[in-house]
Amino acid sequence: MGNLVKVLFFFLLTTHLWSKELTIGSKAFSESIILSEMLAQVLEENYNYKINRKMNLGGTKVLFDALDGGDIDLYPDYTGTGYIMLLKMQGETDPQAVYDIVKKEYENRFGITWSPSLGFNNTYAIAVRENDPRFKEIKTISDIIPIANKLRFVAAHESMERKDGYKAFKEFYKIPFDDNKAKGVDSGLMYSAIRDDHADMIMSYSTDGRIKAYNLKILEDDKKFFPPYYAAFLVKEKTLEDHPALVEIFELFDDFISEEEMIEMNDLVDRAKREPKNIAHNFLVQKGIIKGKIKKPQLSKGFIAYTLSKKNYLLKITKEHLLLSFGALFLALLVSIPTGVALTRFPKLSKLVFPIINTVQTIPSLALLGFLIPLMGIGYLPAVIALFLYSLLPLIRNTYSGIEGVNSNYIEASRGLGLTPMQILFKVEIPLAMPIILAGVRTASVIVIGTATLAALVGAGGLGEPIFRGVATVNGNLILLGAIPSAILAIVVDKFWEVLEKKLVSPGIRL
Amino acid sequence: MISVKNLSKIYEPDGFIAVNHIDFEIPTGSIACIIGTSGCGKTTTLKMLNRLVEPSTGEIRVNNELAITYDPVEWRRKIGYVIQKAGLLPHMTVRENITLLSRILKRDKKHIVEKSNELLNMIGMDPNTFADRYPIELSGGQQQRVGIARALMEDPPILLMDEPFGALDPITRNSMHEELMYMNEKLHKTIVIVTHDMEEAFKLGNQVMLMNKGEIIQMGNEKDFKENPKNQFVEDFVSGQLG
Ligand SMILES: Nc1ncnc2c1ncn2[C@@H]1O[C@H](COP(=O)(O)OP(=O)(O)O)[C@@H](O)[C@H]1O
Ligand SMILES: [Mg+2]
Repeated sequence: MGNLVKVLFFFLLTTHLWSKELTIGSKAFSESIILSEMLAQVLEENYNYKINRKMNLGGTKVLFDALDGGDIDLYPDYTGTGYIMLLKMQGETDPQAVYDIVKKEYENRFGITWSPSLGFNNTYAIAVRENDPRFKEIKTISDIIPIANKLRFVAAHESMERKDGYKAFKEFYKIPFDDNKAKGVDSGLMYSAIRDDHADMIMSYSTDGRIKAYNLKILEDDKKFFPPYYAAFLVKEKTLEDHPALVEIFELFDDFISEEEMIEMNDLVDRAKREPKNIAHNFLVQKGIIKGKIKKPQLSKGFIAYTLSKKNYLLKITKEHLLLSFGALFLALLVSIPTGVALTRFPKLSKLVFPIINTVQTIPSLALLGFLIPLMGIGYLPAVIALFLYSLLPLIRNTYSGIEGVNSNYIEASRGLGLTPMQILFKVEIPLAMPIILAGVRTASVIVIGTATLAALVGAGGLGEPIFRGVATVNGNLILLGAIPSAILAIVVDKFWEVLEKKLVSPGIRL
Repeated sequence: MISVKNLSKIYEPDGFIAVNHIDFEIPTGSIACIIGTSGCGKTTTLKMLNRLVEPSTGEIRVNNELAITYDPVEWRRKIGYVIQKAGLLPHMTVRENITLLSRILKRDKKHIVEKSNELLNMIGMDPNTFADRYPIELSGGQQQRVGIARALMEDPPILLMDEPFGALDPITRNSMHEELMYMNEKLHKTIVIVTHDMEEAFKLGNQVMLMNKGEIIQMGNEKDFKENPKNQFVEDFVSGQLG
């Protein structure tokens, strides 16, 4: 018996060793997607790997937890991000020193290592409009101090919080910004904000294609505040041992992409609306890494043609969205109706339960997802659980108040007639409470279908995926591809309940 | 026959005595009326008869069967119960209301339809017109009639009615009185009616029980009450100064 287990164990170990399958993640912006695509394509084309792509996941924390928990095997990150956000260290600005620190610390603390640097530095850069007369004479960051209190400063949400973000930056340079004029937005949106004069100054990424495209100018970091952000892949040391191909590719990718090249690739995706997949492919072909033809840009399409060309994708994400929404709603119904009924039987319990579910409801959905990832990893499960939790309140509350609200005269008449408590529940109380219960179901449906768009941030797919990808890559068609169907879905489902209501609610109480 | 001995109800937790050691008998086929000022314990007494309220002391027998030996739900099924404003279930049609218990007891379908039609005809409501209506589509008097039909569907020997005609206008109330007395001649039920209207009690009741503060002060017919009032309270009540 013992031997059999050993053999089996060895068998599992070796098949794992030779299984040529890896899951690659990326953050939700073009550059991260392009880098992950490159790695994925080399593994597929040259090493015959099967690659699962989990692109467009949320921020650094989501990806690190996913890597740590084994939901993904690899993703690209930046030395500065690891240094400041994860290791919570500060002070060092020498690129090589920062790289050495993060590599050593990640290996020691998490068993995760860094590939050699890919070559370019995507640090932060303070950008202003080239044609803004106020900045005509201004070259360095220190120069803006005299006019700083009038400036509208915009940065990505992440940058408003980070240790090397807005606050530290302001303090370091002693710039008298007006905090009321400083705003955090989605990183994809800050460029159009400054282009369209909704912002005077942004904390840009130095490799973003839109710096050139939107005629922005970078102010020199004259006091050397921003730390280096060299890109590299993160992978568990164990995974690296099991996949020698990765070591080879990492060597190949060492110092592989220059800043100019990265800016151009980002620009092609963000502005020319090219697919990150194709841009990564072209780059690899040009460098002679993989074989194949250069992919030409397709003519830009109108929304209808675009949607038609994405028919299969749309079908897939719609299915995911429905599976998420109805999975959560179904679970919630299963739990809420009995709970709501039970609470009417034990009023003391309701004093305990309602404050709890009220509190759950007030947790912002992104925060709730953030809590769930360390517990459940990324993907379908945390998303369904979060949606489930959100639909509990309207369902339990309406079941409870619907049944509580049944006129006691009807209960007494039914008892007097000789109905058992169960018969009264099913034949009298629930039918009479049905309009209110169904109103709760409708509310919950709308909440769930809307909130399910956030599931894309934790890798659960759904109609949110093109929305986030569209915002990140400034692609209006892509945003609409997710936004329109999810709005239609909410309306259709609402109508569905309306029709069902006619069937489930007696005309005697509808009149 | 209903026979009640030493019946009391003490409501907890404050120990309020709603009914205080009462005894009475109601012969089969007769109508008894319980009357008294509001809060004197009429409804409590009635509800103890069908065990919607459990007695604190005493015993209740119907045709010599002891109530306490039955499961309360079983017991209630043998006793018709009609409350003020009928208590018809608003989500069910007239026929569904009348036949609810019979359907739960899985009576023969054909019997259910025939019996409910018979009852509807008896209360003067044509089944073709009224069977499929919802309570909200009926007048107050019609609702009260359907409430009575529902109570009679399983043919119980006893019918309890708590202020059944209180919410009706005088003309409807009068005609319902006639119908009830006519019905009882035919069906021979033992009926207990709670009312606070002395005239109604004398008109319907073979036997009138006047209650005050949880006790039965006097029991008898109209003649007994008028010619031999037991005390000043009875005299005042009969002359209409109370109640
Ligand atoms: N469930 C109860 N708990 C406590 N007191 C009650 C309850 N039901 C009735 N009572 C009290 O018992 C007394 C008799 O009530 P009831 O029998 O309903 O009077 P009525 O003669 O008006 O029908 C009233 O004072 C009432 O407040
Ligand atoms: Mg009463």
